[in-house]
Amino acid sequence: MSNNENNTGNPFRKLRYLIVDDFENFRLSLRQMLRSFGADHIEVAANGQTAVQRCTYEHFDVILCDYNLGKGKNGQHILEELRHRKLLKRTSLFIMVTAETSKEMVMGAREYQPDAYLTKPINRAMLDKRLGDLVEQRNALLPINREIDLENLPQAITLCRQALQDKPKYKTWLLKTLAELYFQLGDYTHARKIYEDVVSQRKLSWAQLGLARVLLAEQHYDEACSALNALIEEQPDFVEAYDVLAKTLAKQGKAAKAQKMLQKATELSPNALLRHKSLADIATQNQDMETAASAWRTTVTLGTHSVHDSPEHYISLGRSLSDLSDGDQTEVGQNYAGEALRIVSVMEKRFPEAVGVSTKSKLIQARVHAGQGRSREANAALEQAKLDIDPEKLDPDLGLDLAKTYYSVGATQLAEALLGDLAKRFENDPQVLGQIENLLDEPVSFRQKVKARALNRDGIKAFEGENLTDAASAFREALALVPNHAALNLNLIQVILRQIDKQQVGREALQDCKRCLDALSNLPTQHRQYRRYLALKKKIESMNHG
Amino acid sequence: MAEHLTDSRDDNDLNFSMVIASAVHDMKNSLSMLLHSLDELREEHGPELTESKRFNTLQYEAQRVHGDLVQLLGLYRLQEDKLTAHVDEHHVPDFLALQLARHQPLLDGRNIQCALQSSEISGYFDQDLIGGILTNTINNAIRYTRSQISLAAREEDGYLVISVADDGQGYPQEMLDDPKPCLNSLDFDTGSTSLGLYFASSVAHLHKNGQRTGFIRLCNGGPLGGGIFEVWLP
Repeated sequence: MSNNENNTGNPFRKLRYLIVDDFENFRLSLRQMLRSFGADHIEVAANGQTAVQRCTYEHFDVILCDYNLGKGKNGQHILEELRHRKLLKRTSLFIMVTAETSKEMVMGAREYQPDAYLTKPINRAMLDKRLGDLVEQRNALLPINREIDLENLPQAITLCRQALQDKPKYKTWLLKTLAELYFQLGDYTHARKIYEDVVSQRKLSWAQLGLARVLLAEQHYDEACSALNALIEEQPDFVEAYDVLAKTLAKQGKAAKAQKMLQKATELSPNALLRHKSLADIATQNQDMETAASAWRTTVTLGTHSVHDSPEHYISLGRSLSDLSDGDQTEVGQNYAGEALRIVSVMEKRFPEAVGVSTKSKLIQARVHAGQGRSREANAALEQAKLDIDPEKLDPDLGLDLAKTYYSVGATQLAEALLGDLAKRFENDPQVLGQIENLLDEPVSFRQKVKARALNRDGIKAFEGENLTDAASAFREALALVPNHAALNLNLIQVILRQIDKQQVGREALQDCKRCLDALSNLPTQHRQYRRYLALKKKIESMNHG
Repeated sequence: MAEHLTDSRDDNDLNFSMVIASAVHDMKNSLSMLLHSLDELREEHGPELTESKRFNTLQYEAQRVHGDLVQLLGLYRLQEDKLTAHVDEHHVPDFLALQLARHQPLLDGRNIQCALQSSEISGYFDQDLIGGILTNTINNAIRYTRSQISLAAREEDGYLVISVADDGQGYPQEMLDDPKPCLNSLDFDTGSTSLGLYFASSVAHLHKNGQRTGFIRLCNGGPLGGGIFEVWLP
């Protein structure tokens, strides 16, 4: 009755099995079934920790793992940890055992998919059939997976091509793998050809997604977007499509839309840590601090049992909460401040060995206290943090955070000196320079930052509409929030010059321009606006003389 | 387990169909445990239970309720516009053999012969959805057949046709006339079957390829002389 007895040997016999289930009954009955198929080497584990431990010291060919394991790690956590730590080879089978509809919870998990799902209830005949098919497939594809495990991708490609001829039963697997291998090697032309061929036969979602990924990699952003939108239209629950679309939109500079896509994806598939992390990153970039904090919070929570857990998530959560609490002494602000202090203290206990964690934690504490008007505590925390910091070796991330903390306790000169120093040390790193400029421009709470940016946009719009009075007042209002903002000061100068030109104001307005220039007297020469600053300075000096 | 069925609506705004859906979800998981225990009992006690008519009734009825609940959940998601077919290529003989294996204990228990006929073809469909409707159809066939069931697949007019046939009385004329019943006028005598057909028809309809859409077809006769259920997948 089974397809496992016709070969020379019983294919079940020589494989090594691990059963992971929190119910002893299930473990026993699965073990009995496997025994009855002739399996010899069977180990069991009642929870995720034991399962991972067993895999650390022993190799298994087949892992039958229940998704829902009660407290602690679930099946997906185990799969991710095993694959991430390379404890599970591609030549091994990881089979996720689920209750019917819990499959959605597993789907959309970002990186790693199990080789197969088995849905409960499982009887002996079903397990025999399903496992028999999977083992047969494993054996047929073993040479290919072995090469992939060895990172021997070109050889794997050759074997895939051969197998397409003589193992047509596994055509879909072979095409998926082949396209993926080409993609990994950066051979987008071949990858694209496979996806296009498949899609031209039938609009299968994996091939449509693959094609969109190729378009993204080849920087055809518009085409990628329309392909992905069409795919999502047909398959609204296809989470990976939202991920790729978010990535594409971000590349196009449409950060707000990208954030929206990731929000939808996290609603559809709420358990993937890395997706929440991407959402947090892009929300931070969008200055949407509430969303960022909530996404970091989820990232931290999901990290509890995950191999992707990291103190950096706690730090980021602490930083976003400290931003939210900054200068807000209402109950809401106090709650954010309290949560920030709690989260960094949890972190210090959870990662006692991690390098640099306590310094970052101290800086967050200092800013939280400062933002709540407790300057004594703020300065004490800052002093403690400084004990661990060597200014000569300061990396940009910590340096910027230290400068931000200086600003928050009112030590503006220390902050500017530090930023000037960093700008010199990292003058060849445009990303760091950009961050330094932003902090110099806007050393204030994110709320004021957001407001100033909106006013700047209003001012530019009014200027373009030749509505100079409105433009000037928008820029002035923005400068009241961020007095040293380079672009804003220069914008205001240009408006005033134009007003003088059109005789809307008198030449005494040049005094205002002078004040703007004075505000920028410490502008570092590396600043993006420096040349514009010099040009306008020259012009005003000549007008004063003329 | 039911957390993914809840949504973030206002707490006071009780959404009754959602409440029912999560209750159904819970019941279905319990039944799944129950079915598993029945399989275990059968393994442990061997022939004496396998021959027991009452035990087989117990398993059949539990399987039936389980199938109904799975369908109910499917209908809920269909109504919420959340049911989509995840179509991929599958090896048809392996797929059908797996569906049959699910029913093996009951088939053995009731002494029903079951034949599987399919050449080495592959087809494109959502294996969970199609597996679900086959499970219910086979369970139904087990109830109405005398001694034989046939599970078969063929290619016709560019469709993959999967059929379940038995040697029972066949489908009543009303069902042959209208295989997709109107759910608002449920006949309680055939309630569960109508529900099953409605769901099967909806699931078939979710399978599309170009301009063509899947459907179901019922007829009587064939080699076994009883009812024949067919699902046509483009």
